[in-house]
Parts: sequence; structure tokens; C-alpha cells
Amino acid sequence: MTPRRQLADTLAIGAILAVAVVALILLVAPSIVVVIISFDTRAYVSFPPVGFTLDWYAKVFEETALVEAMLNSLQVGITVTGLCILLGVPTALVCVRGRFPGTTALSVFVLVPHMVPGIVLGVAVLFAGALVGVGPSIYLQSLSIAVFVLAVMVRTVMSRLQRLDPALEEASANLGASPFQTLATVTFPLLLPAILAGAVFTFVEGFDNLSVAIFTHGFRDRPLPVELLALVQTTNTPLVAAVSGVQIVLAIVALVIVAATIGLDRVNE
Amino acid sequence: MHEPVDANADLLTPPVLSIGGVTKRFGPLTVLDRCSLDVAEGEIVTLLGPSGCGKTTLLRCIAGFWAPDAGTITIDGADTVRVPVNRRPVGVVFQSYALFPHLTVAKNVAYGLRMRGMAKADIAARVARALETVALSDFAGRYPAQLSGGQQQRVAIARVLVLEPRVLLLDEPFNALDAKLRGAMQVDLRQLIKRLGITAIFVTHDQEEALTMSDRIAVMRAGRIEQLAPPEEIFDHPATAYVADFIGSSNFWQSHAEGGRVNLPDGQSAPSHRAGDVTIMVRPHNLAIRPGEDGPLKGAVGFQRNIGALVEYHVATDGGGTVRVMAMRQERGRSIADGTRVTLSILDPNLCAVYEPQ
Repeated sequence: MTPRRQLADTLAIGAILAVAVVALILLVAPSIVVVIISFDTRAYVSFPPVGFTLDWYAKVFEETALVEAMLNSLQVGITVTGLCILLGVPTALVCVRGRFPGTTALSVFVLVPHMVPGIVLGVAVLFAGALVGVGPSIYLQSLSIAVFVLAVMVRTVMSRLQRLDPALEEASANLGASPFQTLATVTFPLLLPAILAGAVFTFVEGFDNLSVAIFTHGFRDRPLPVELLALVQTTNTPLVAAVSGVQIVLAIVALVIVAATIGLDRVNE
Repeated sequence: MHEPVDANADLLTPPVLSIGGVTKRFGPLTVLDRCSLDVAEGEIVTLLGPSGCGKTTLLRCIAGFWAPDAGTITIDGADTVRVPVNRRPVGVVFQSYALFPHLTVAKNVAYGLRMRGMAKADIAARVARALETVALSDFAGRYPAQLSGGQQQRVAIARVLVLEPRVLLLDEPFNALDAKLRGAMQVDLRQLIKRLGITAIFVTHDQEEALTMSDRIAVMRAGRIEQLAPPEEIFDHPATAYVADFIGSSNFWQSHAEGGRVNLPDGQSAPSHRAGDVTIMVRPHNLAIRPGEDGPLKGAVGFQRNIGALVEYHVATDGGGTVRVMAMRQERGRSIADGTRVTLSILDPNLCAVYEPQ
């Protein structure tokens, strides 16, 4: 390589690195700012802070509305995840292993709710629910978000399934397993990492979704995003920042648990 | 077109596996065309042919992964075509081995017994015995990813042998191994199968593997069995030019036969059961090479390579075309250099094969 080519090469690699660093800063900076603000002694949001206090965190847990909203969102996250596993895994199996026409169409169709704006889906579910006499509630909210994010679970499981050696299932049958035994003892255990990866996404969406939930949640069971929206609309205290701080800590704890039990690499697969 | 090969090579006992006129089509493509084959107790039969010849399709039909469009497959006299795949007394060793990555070696081997609902204590005893048979007792607690290719192959074999199948099907089981291991594994596997007296069908595209492993070889071409015979006979008396070309290295000439004799390119003649235009085949080791131009089959050495104690010469003949000659390697200084004018002659005219013109 000529020195000139070498210089151009070094600059190009350097530029890519620089972009990556900028991206990383953009990813992390807002969270850091929020966490810093959450310790401020002033009663309004401003940067940089002038003092240090844990009062806002204490207040988060004193506000029953906030604690209830967190518990509601936790319940929605878990329900959405359960629904997505229940609906998504069989759908993925049919899309990949099904031997009848329409499986490709089905695998594309599950994407549709995810591609429609959440607000549109929320309104649609609200009207459709009213038509059959189902009003907004924590259950309707869970169902509507599950429909919204089902595609993530289906797609994650499908891609794992497509990369699974078909000989594994044939070997299982050859060794005497019935189709259901094969599913239970070979296919499902091998899909587990993909299901867990999908579950992380569906749980976060269930916990955090605002666009769909704002129309479908029960008015006595407000989820956290709706509660937070109301909070920032009416007040300007670092309380909101403290709630975000709690969520960030929970997210880190969840990641550490995933890393320690199944490993981040397997989620990436 | 040839008639389908006769399946019965004088079996003394009733066949364990009997395949009769099996045909399989995928859309307009006929992948298997009236294949018939009887396999005796304890016999190893190899399905040999290039990719696309139908050998794997036939194996998959026997295993039950695919259903033939026509024909019968019987095991111990019982029709199995309608028996579901998980109820056939057939064990498959897959090309990829298909070991369950989430189960230990012992659990992989126990899998089939577990599916049959056998008692835990019996399973443990039989798994231990099976692992002993393939010399893997010390690896029972390992996962497949922690084993070498050769060890994985032995787990795959133990996993089906523990079920005592009537027929063992092996789909190119040496493909995933590096060349150095293959030779030793072939001998080991043949000895193991013979020691246990298992009836086996072995699929490969590698002629050396077929010659090592088999009691009989079925050479397949375009969905048909072209020749079914023991390895020596396939090698010494290939039934068709295709088989001769596929097994070992061969030289072909067009010639003319008359009055029960055929003219050979070096001026000699050989007996012929055909008349008129024919193709004759001469093996490279049935040719002698000498410097000089004192015979009708002349040419120049274009290329040579040492194969252990032998040398293979590629001779560009004056009549056009390249002839391969296999000879003992001469000591240094007496070898024939590239470019040398040489004369070739056939050592034993009776070993030349005569086929219909190609």
C-alpha cells in the first residue's frame, strides 16, 4: 500500500470509530442527564443541578398513584409477554414448518399491526372493543399492546427456527418421538433463547408503551407512561426524573440477570 | 435404456430389507426410477453415485421421511411404507450427525429409550453399554459441542444402536470429518457394524469409502441402480462404461468388434461379446509405458505425478486425447521425463471391458 492509501485508510477507519463514539454518547447522555437532575435540590427541572438530595426518590415511593402505576405497568409487561409467547411461538412454527399455502403471507401479515402507528392501532382497538362491549381496561391494554408487538416475538422465533438444522427434528422422529414429543423435547428447548430474547422486547414494550395504551388503558388502572405524561403536563419537579432513574436501575438489573443466567450472546443470536 | 438391475444377488437367507420398484417424483422430476434392492442379514450395502443420483432420496424413503410414489419397502417381510417414521425399526446416522445440542452425550443416547417409555434404571444400563461399545464412556456428561468430529459421529452411532434397529442407515457419515481421520474411521465403523452383525445401508459419493465399507455396492445413476455387486466385481468388471468411469480411473477408446474379437488400440485384440461399434475400457494399471516409438499406440508424456510407490502418467496420444497410465515408480534417473515420446501397450487384453458405443 502506498503511504497515501494508508493515510486514507486510517482516516476512514478513524471516521467510523468517531461516528460510533458519537452514537454511544447520544444513547447514554439523556439517561445521564436525567439521573443527574433527579438528585437536584431545586423543585423545578433545570441543568446543571445546584445540590444533592435523595428526596425525589423517597417521594416516588410515597406517591401511591405512581407506585400503583408502576405495578400496573409491571402487570401489563408480564401479560403482554405471556400473550406474545402463547400466540407468537405457534405462529412462528406454522410460518416456518407449515406445509400449506399462505404461510409466507401469514409471516408478512403479523408485521402489519407493528407497522401501523400505535395511536391508530389504539383507536382501532378501542372502537372494535366498544363494538363487542369491551371497554378500556388493563386487560384490553395488555391485549392491544400484545397485538402491537407480536411481530417481534414471531420474527425472533422464526429466524432461529429457520437456522435450526432440520435433521434435528428428523433425528428425533427417527428415534421414536411423536411430533408433539419432538416439539416438546427438541424444538422448544432449542427455541428458548430466541423466546427469551423476544420476551425482553415484549416486556419493555408492555411496560413502556404510551401510544397504544393511552387509548386502551383502564381509567382506574393508569399505566406508568400515562401517569408520567400527566405528571409532566401538570408539574415541573424532578419527580419525573426520579421515576426515570428508578426505571434505569431496573433495566440495568434486568440486563445483569439476563447476562448472568442465559448470557447476552444468546439473546443476540 | 437399461432394464432395472435384478435385485437378488443369490441371497441365501430371506432379506432383512427388501426394496421393490421404488419410484419417487418431485414435480416433473423423477428422482428414483423403479429401484429394487434386497439386503441380507448383517450385510452392508452402499448406495454410490454423484449428487443428484437419488441415493439420499432412497435412504430417506427407507427411513420414512419421504413416501415413495410407487413400489414397496419391506423389513423382515412386513410392508413399512405406511408405517409412520417414528415406528420404523430403522436407525439413521445423519450427515450432520444431528446430535441434540442441549442434551449431554448420555441424554442423547438415552433419547430414543426415553421416547419408548423405558424404565430409568434400564435406560441407564443400556446407555452405559452403548457408550462402552463406541468407547465414549468417559464422555457421558459432555455436550456435543465439546466433542471432536469423530467423537460426535460415534455418539450419533451409539444413539441409534442402543435402540437395536433392524436396519442402520448412514448418510455420508464421513463428510464432516477431515481427510486424515476418514480412513481410520471407515475401518473402525465397518468393523463395529460387522461385529454387531447389523444390516446397514451406507450412502456416499466417495468410491474409496464405498470400496472400504461395503459387502456390495449399488452404483446409482439418474435415479436407477446401474450395477449391484461386491466391490471387487464392480472394480474389475464394471457392467457399464458409466460404472467404469465412476469407479477408479479409466481410459476409453471407440473400436469395432467382429467375429467375437475386438481390435485394441495397441494392435492386439480381445474377446468381445458385442459386435459392431463398441467402446472399450482399459484401466491405467493395465497399460505399460516405454520410451521410444515402436508400436501403434504412441504419444508424448504431458504430465506425471507420484502417488506413493506408483507414478501416474498423462500421455497425449497421436490419435488425440489423453491416456492415463499407472506404473511402478522407477529409481531416480530412470524415470520418463515430461515431453518424452513413448509407446503404450496393453498388459492383459482379457481385462479390457467392451461396452456399447458411447
